[in-house]
Amino acid sequence: MNKNYNLTTKIPRVFLHLFLIISSLIMIFPFIWMLISSFKPSIEVISIPFKFLPTKWTFSNYKEVLQTLPMLKGYINSLIVSTSVVCLVLLSSSTAGYLFAKLRFKGRESLFFFILASLMIPPQIGIIPLYFLISKLHLTNNYIGLIVPFAMSAFGIFLMRQFISGIPNSLIEAARIDGATDFQIFYKVILPLIKPALSVLGILSFLWSWDEFLWPLIVITQNNMKTLPIILGHFTQAEAKYPGQSMAAITLVIVPILIVYAFFQRYFVEGMSMTGLKY
Amino acid sequence: MFAEKLKKINPYMFTVILMVAAYFTIVSLWPFIFNLFLSFMKTDLISGYRFVGLSNYRFLAKDPVFFKSLWHNIFYILVLISVGITTSLVLSSLIYRTYGFSKKIYTALHFTPVVTSMVAVSLIWNLLYYPKIGVFAVLLTKFFHVQPQLFLADSKIALLCIIIMDIWKETGIRVVVLLAGMQEIPKTVYEAARIDGASPISQFFKITIPLLRPQITFLVAIYSINALRVFTQVFMMTGNPPGGPANSTKTLSIHMYQEAFYSLRFGYGATIAIIIFILLFGLVLFQIRAFKQTWEY
Repeated sequence: MNKNYNLTTKIPRVFLHLFLIISSLIMIFPFIWMLISSFKPSIEVISIPFKFLPTKWTFSNYKEVLQTLPMLKGYINSLIVSTSVVCLVLLSSSTAGYLFAKLRFKGRESLFFFILASLMIPPQIGIIPLYFLISKLHLTNNYIGLIVPFAMSAFGIFLMRQFISGIPNSLIEAARIDGATDFQIFYKVILPLIKPALSVLGILSFLWSWDEFLWPLIVITQNNMKTLPIILGHFTQAEAKYPGQSMAAITLVIVPILIVYAFFQRYFVEGMSMTGLKY
Repeated sequence: MFAEKLKKINPYMFTVILMVAAYFTIVSLWPFIFNLFLSFMKTDLISGYRFVGLSNYRFLAKDPVFFKSLWHNIFYILVLISVGITTSLVLSSLIYRTYGFSKKIYTALHFTPVVTSMVAVSLIWNLLYYPKIGVFAVLLTKFFHVQPQLFLADSKIALLCIIIMDIWKETGIRVVVLLAGMQEIPKTVYEAARIDGASPISQFFKITIPLLRPQITFLVAIYSINALRVFTQVFMMTGNPPGGPANSTKTLSIHMYQEAFYSLRFGYGATIAIIIFILLFGLVLFQIRAFKQTWEY
């Protein structure tokens, strides 16, 4: 009986790990292939017969990419836009979160509903009118034009309201008796307590903003204002012609994010699962 | 009198309410109204507007590309949800059975594609899908002895290829959400089932899946909304014009983008946007009902 039990559990455990190792490999195979291909001479990336490893390792793809594409400028643009978006989203979500969670005023529920309703409006709806507005204000090819449509997030406000609701009212009352204004309460009482939620929202909004494609595609036409996704977008037409170079460019874009992910992996994963459960 | 009233106003409330209300009015309410207005106009946004009544909507009702795109979105939702959630359920229940370090590593590896950008990932898969002599074509021929495929250049399977990439990219989120749900199921439930002689497979179907209903409903909600908006991956993987070959991968977003920003028919583009909104609204209402049902058990 006991022996039988061991047999039925041990053999599946081997298969369990085998299966998971295979599926993990599937998950990272495209990245490994990208990295290896970026060191191949372009004719070897797609070749008959199929070769996984290059016959000669070369840096020429990287050299050409850095010479012909504004990669560095793209990094700077993407960093400026994404960090601004993250700062603005964190500021607006936390201040509004405190407002909706703890302060009472007439029309609170309807204002909150109004903000949540904007979640239901697909981004496609906003694109034509916002493009119209941004071009009327001469903000195309401008950081402000890239940042403003993402400066506040209904999702962020919702997340922060949920989180701040959990803070006991007695803390706020005590501060108020001591004569603190709401600005001081927010800064000294609320802000220190919501750091974990802020880091989650920060990571998420950074990833979303770093990845944003449709909006910059529409409002950016000048080369020196292009963000990284838009620079990579050039390769949709040219990829088959320059496979090695395109893999080198993608490696340059992806690897920094992967390094950050490797160090802060726990926060990324926990953040994602937290937002999943908060609904 | 007025000064007294002014004193009563809480400056924090005043600033934040004004900021939030103004922002969402400009960035979400106004675009919605302006979009509705545009959908009754014929305009290129530069040389003025001409009121055309319902003719954009009438044109839409007869536009075969619109219906094709709509079907592609529906197909996308159906495949993404059924295949995506099934694979993630299997993977997360397997990862659930591992411990300590190996559990962390498996989760982290499955999550890797999630943190990379869609544009970059689409480009990598583009080359992997290279027709006839690309990596996938060679591997499929080697292991399954199928004809070398054209993948994205084949109008019959191009959309499916994009969906498979999408499923691969987002598996990590689903696995993490489902794992978090599984961790909340009390271990005693499984113990009891094991004592009663339930096999791991029947435990999976009789315990895990029913108790994960909130998470599964959440994932269905999120992914059906995402699939209705899908743009980047199609744009990146189908070349010029996007949505090819022969409109076989065109989605509503791509159709709208092309009508508005390529053909400069902003009125018609706005009409498609309104339809996307109505569909999304319907979907959300439907899902709120489904959510309510899950809370009842």
